Amino acid sequence: MLLAAVLAAADVSFVLVGSAALWLRGEAMPVGDTDAVIEPREPNLRRLHAALNSLAVRPRQVPSVSRLRGLPIARVMTSFGNLDCLLEQGRLEWGRLRGGAETIMVTDVGVLVASAGDAWALRRRFKDGHG
Amino acid sequence: MADDRTGLGLVELAILEALEGLGGRAGGRDVRCERVLAAVEDSIGLARGYGYEVLADMALPWKVQVPLLSPHGNFGGRGNDPPASARYTDARLSRAGEVVLAAARGEMAPVPAGLINGNTHRRGTRPPFRPERIIAAVRAVLDDPGITPGKLLEIVGPPDFMTGCTVSGDLAGLRAGRKAELVLQARVTITSPAALQAQGASARRWHRYAPDSAVIVIDSFPPYVSVDDAAAAIAERASRRDLDSRYPGLSQATRLPLRNVVDESHRGRYWIACIPDAGADPQQIRNQLLDIYGVYDQVSVALPAPLGPAIKDWTAARQNEDLAASLAALESAIAAGEPYDES
Repeated sequence: MLLAAVLAAADVSFVLVGSAALWLRGEAMPVGDTDAVIEPREPNLRRLHAALNSLAVRPRQVPSVSRLRGLPIARVMTSFGNLDCLLEQGRLEWGRLRGGAETIMVTDVGVLVASAGDAWALRRRFKDGHG
Repeated sequence: MADDRTGLGLVELAILEALEGLGGRAGGRDVRCERVLAAVEDSIGLARGYGYEVLADMALPWKVQVPLLSPHGNFGGRGNDPPASARYTDARLSRAGEVVLAAARGEMAPVPAGLINGNTHRRGTRPPFRPERIIAAVRAVLDDPGITPGKLLEIVGPPDFMTGCTVSGDLAGLRAGRKAELVLQARVTITSPAALQAQGASARRWHRYAPDSAVIVIDSFPPYVSVDDAAAAIAERASRRDLDSRYPGLSQATRLPLRNVVDESHRGRYWIACIPDAGADPQQIRNQLLDIYGVYDQVSVALPAPLGPAIKDWTAARQNEDLAASLAALESAIAAGEPYDES
């Protein structure tokens, strides 16, 4: 959960999905990796790149901004756990996911969290291979 | 598909077969790994790069409970140092590997090698268990076919991840055959420079700290994380001083008040020492360290069936063979295992 707050504090625009989002929405479930759908605009990708560089345990493995523009997913290992940046999902569905999201405070940082319906739908798609 | 008599995968068995075919029997001569991989490629068409990863895992005692190969040469360590090229490393069957191969061929009764070693070391979902406990559970079924699954679970105990890391999570769910997320945590101990020196740590390193000041030592790391990455993660977190004045709550939650992080790993013993800032609470830092990735790891696990009935069924289906003899052979081979020299 703290990883999402750290990312938001670095002014990266994203919608939290996955188990962390569902946990924040009140679902009793173990929280694994942090999954974030990234807003695809260029300035945000630059902020994401800077944030990943400061967070990554292996900074040399952080994709460049130009790679972030085309990758479907970027996985980065951090001291807070693994972060999966769902970039393609952002390019395809940012507006819709952002519309259904709601800000939830994690410590004193507001984190945009997907609606439970969207978080479950994405989880089924990625985790269980449906759709 | 796993071999019915041992629970090993096709690739693992092909590697054992290839090694034996090239003369690499236990106590015999070493075989260059490149030759083993070529033979495996010829027999099952497996690409050598993938085969080498499996081969190395089968040999390393922090990856599997019962190493089936005896490695010689640089097979890497628990940091970010990978094995040397297969052109420069050798292996032969371990005694346990020889027993498992004989069981797979029907030359002796089956052995539950797959159940003992699991496959989480290759990102599978079957966790490892302590070999002596699995062997004891099978023997208990042989002694008393009516033994209850609950009693068997007591004998088997929780999964064991080789390094001494703690295991928590939905263990009851796992035993019942459900998916579970397990958290593996390193051991984090508060000690002092004086105590470290008494245990043989470098006096030159530790004499500059007050003898009775706090030092937090991390060891018994989870098996599938790199100790180098864990050290980097701790150092990264310690460097995040006062993250952002806009978010004092986040700064408070993420700040790790350490003035030094020292990776003391040497010759196969892996440990990291953390020196707290003056005035910082070591117990609080200890709790924070346990939440840093690398000090902890998460593993998704599931068994194909509830564990107690599965052991009963496995034993019952093979009771017309001499399981007592094969278990004794496996037990003796494990006891004769050669330690892996990481120096």
